Amino acid sequence: MTSITISEEDFSKFKEFFYRKTGMQFENSKRYFVDKRLIERIEATNSGSFRSYFVMLRFETTGEELQKLVNLMTVNETYFFREEYQFKCLVDSILPEIVRKKTDDSPIRIWSVPSSSGEEAYSIAIYLLEHWSGIDRWDVEIISSDIDTEIISQAKKGHYSPRSVQNLPDKILHKYFTYKNEGYQICRDLQQAVEFTRVNIMEPLEVRSYRNMDVIFCRNLLIYFDDVSRRYAAEMFFDAMKAGGFVCLGHSESMSRISSLFRVCKFPEAIVYQKPLESR
Amino acid sequence: MMAFIKQQAPQEVSEDERTTARDFHGLSAELNSEHATARRWAVRDLVSFPQASEVLVARLKIEEDASVRTAILSSLAQLGDKTAMNGLVTCLRSDEASLRNEAIEVLKAIPDEVGPIINALLNDSDSDVRIFTINILESLRHEHVEQWLMSVIDNDDQVNVCATAVDLLSEVGSELSVQSLMNLKQRFANEPYICFSVDLALKRIQQGEH
Repeated sequence: MTSITISEEDFSKFKEFFYRKTGMQFENSKRYFVDKRLIERIEATNSGSFRSYFVMLRFETTGEELQKLVNLMTVNETYFFREEYQFKCLVDSILPEIVRKKTDDSPIRIWSVPSSSGEEAYSIAIYLLEHWSGIDRWDVEIISSDIDTEIISQAKKGHYSPRSVQNLPDKILHKYFTYKNEGYQICRDLQQAVEFTRVNIMEPLEVRSYRNMDVIFCRNLLIYFDDVSRRYAAEMFFDAMKAGGFVCLGHSESMSRISSLFRVCKFPEAIVYQKPLESR
Repeated sequence: MMAFIKQQAPQEVSEDERTTARDFHGLSAELNSEHATARRWAVRDLVSFPQASEVLVARLKIEEDASVRTAILSSLAQLGDKTAMNGLVTCLRSDEASLRNEAIEVLKAIPDEVGPIINALLNDSDSDVRIFTINILESLRHEHVEQWLMSVIDNDDQVNVCATAVDLLSEVGSELSVQSLMNLKQRFANEPYICFSVDLALKRIQQGEH
């Protein structure tokens, strides 16, 4: 049994550091979860104590250990209606705000990146159909991109495990999916509603044609980037958006720690980031 | 009836990046475009040209749009040559806090390029620059951070600079720093804040070693 302990002060220090580096925040209720993983890494690196490990973590030149810790601290699993409060924010706050400021009939453009296997983009489509009356008035383009071509093929197929759809209310599941081959096949209309594309968001030439976005969902991706890349990605998003557009990050991520280009918007359902209307 | 549509044609590009050739001269000229978007793209694309730092630093001096300045800082960080680094360091001397802070954040992110100039920055004649340099060390991924902080408290005559270094040592210092900390306390025996923070740092180091 391990004798390594994480004191209250250690936890506070770590929490502050980790937030600064990744934008991820831990509530005190996550204490057990964080301690367990920290101790695991302290042991794996033979650091002996929190302090030694923490110093190594802060100053190691490669950043490898921080990346390992990030991977451990994040649950990289996607499923339908994950972090649903942001979809609520989309239909109750973001889209009404966008529509209010619109001066033409052009489609509303929503970019979901990374697409992974498509759950997020399809969730957005379902949410708009179910909870946003504006869908009858406005055309919407949903574009979903990933760097991985295999995962894009999977997203286009739209076939999901029971685990993937477990958060969906029965009514929604039966309305948009059919049970097939021990999983759930999304309906053709939704498949056609989303345009899946391959893009490396770090490659200017590839990103250049992505523009005039009203909303970007980029959840739990930037935490995997180093500081310079994270800044760069934020700048790319800035140019991919219309002035007044919104970026939604993962619940534990913060744009304020990445770039000062965006304005923080505290909607009742979520905190999101806006490209200032006066931006050029 | 669903109102979802797919893009029928590429998004129209207006007022920005395609008006000049994307070679070095074309992009350098584009830095003077009246459109901030065009300037940002020019700044980004210039990263492909090793000689670009000079024109970017020159633009930084006159650029008024914050988003373009942000892009210039990122591009300079990517270029990382001597001219680029001098340009970033110059921002530490700016009266504008937002530019200074942004430069500090960028410099923190490029330890390989910053490492070789830390000693010079810690010996800068401007004590504010020395303090900002310690702010950079605060999360610079470099193995010499503790030694640099020790050299500050061994040699710097300015009490605020030393206090900033002690604060950071209380977080990251090891047994190696103990003697330097005790010497500092003697050197600034009449400065209660230094004595207090050195004691705190020593206590934390001692706790951390056990």
